Amino acid sequence: MSEKPLKTDEQLIAEFQNGNENAFVELVDRYKDRLVNFVYRFLHDMTDAEDMVQETFLKVYKNKHAYREIAKFSTWIYTIAGNLARSELRKRKRRKTYTMSDLSFNDNEFTPVDPGKDTEGIVFNSYAGEEIMRAIYALPEPFKTIIILRDIQELSYEDISTILDIPMGTVKSRVNRARLKLQETLSYLKE
Amino acid sequence: MQNTDCTFICEQFTEYQENSLPSEIRAKVDSHLASCSSCMEMFEKLTDAIETLHSLRTLKASPEFTSTLLSRIDTLNQETVWQKIYASSYSRVAGYALAAGLVVALGINVLIDPKSPMKPDVQSNFAGEKINPAQPSQSLAEVTDSSANASSDSLTLQNSTINSNNQSMQLVSGKK
Repeated sequence: MSEKPLKTDEQLIAEFQNGNENAFVELVDRYKDRLVNFVYRFLHDMTDAEDMVQETFLKVYKNKHAYREIAKFSTWIYTIAGNLARSELRKRKRRKTYTMSDLSFNDNEFTPVDPGKDTEGIVFNSYAGEEIMRAIYALPEPFKTIIILRDIQELSYEDISTILDIPMGTVKSRVNRARLKLQETLSYLKE
Repeated sequence: MQNTDCTFICEQFTEYQENSLPSEIRAKVDSHLASCSSCMEMFEKLTDAIETLHSLRTLKASPEFTSTLLSRIDTLNQETVWQKIYASSYSRVAGYALAAGLVVALGINVLIDPKSPMKPDVQSNFAGEKINPAQPSQSLAEVTDSSANASSDSLTLQNSTINSNNQSMQLVSGKK
C-alpha cells in the first residue's frame, strides 16, 4: 500500500482558501515550531514568541485570500512573523524595557531568559548557546534578521531575498558581514 | 588594520565556506589563508560561530499551542457572526425606522395641510365622484403652487372633483 503523497504548503493554502479548515490546521502544525524558533530569537521570551506566532496565524486565517501563489507560502508567513517580531522589538525599544541592541554588555543591561516563562524549560545550558544568543541580540537589526533567517532557520538565499525584499547579492554580502560582526561580538564577549 | 586584500578575502568567507565561489577566487582565498594568520584566525572563529549557531537547540511550541489558537479563531468567528447579525439587524431596524418616520411625516402632512394633494381625492371619494386614475400624483410643492396661482393644471385636477375654481376656494374656506 502506497503512502499518500504529502501536500505542498501551496496546495494546503489553496485548499484553505476554498474553505477547508483542516488544511489550515495542517499548516499550523507544519510551521508553529519553526516560527516560534524564529520569533524567539528576536524577542528572547517564549511566551511573547508564542503570542506573536499566534498573531501570525490569526493574520493568515483572516487574510487567507491575500496570499497569491507568486511567492512560496513559507516566505509569506515568515514575512508576516518577521514583521510582527520587528514591530514588537521597536515597541520594546520605545518603552526602553530592552537594552540588548546596545553593543555594550554588562550584567545590568542583559535581561536573561526567565526560565519560569519558558514552556519547555528552555534555558541554554551550554555557555556557547548563551553567548551566541547574546551576540545575536547585540547585532544591529538588518544583521540580526539575516543571521536568524540564514544560520538558525537555514533558509535559502532565494527565500531570504524574497522575505526581506532585497537582491540575492545583497543577501549574500549581508550574511557575510553579519557573520563577521557576530564573530567580532563573540570575541568581545569572550574577553 | 586589515589591508585591501584581507578585506576582500573576508568578504568571500560565506561563499568560501559554502563552496559556492568561482574556482579562481576560491584559489585566491586558499592561498591568502595559507599565508595570512590573521585572516585564518578570523575564518576559524567565523566557522566556529556558524557551527554554534547551527547547534542552537531547536525550540518547540507548547503542546497547547494549536488548541489555544483554534479556540481564539472560534472566538473570532463568533464575534464576526454576531457583528454580522448586529450589523444586519441594525440596518434593518434603521430602514424600518426611516420608513415609519416617512409614513408618519406624510400622515401628519395630510392631516394638517389643507392644500395637501390627498385632500381633493378624499373629498371626491366622499362625494362619490370619479377620480381619474390616469392623473399622475403631484408633489406637494406643485399642488401648492398650482392652487395658489390657479393655473390651468390646477384647474384640470380640481375639475375632476369639483366644477370650478371658485367652488374649490369656497370649499376650502368653508372647512376653515
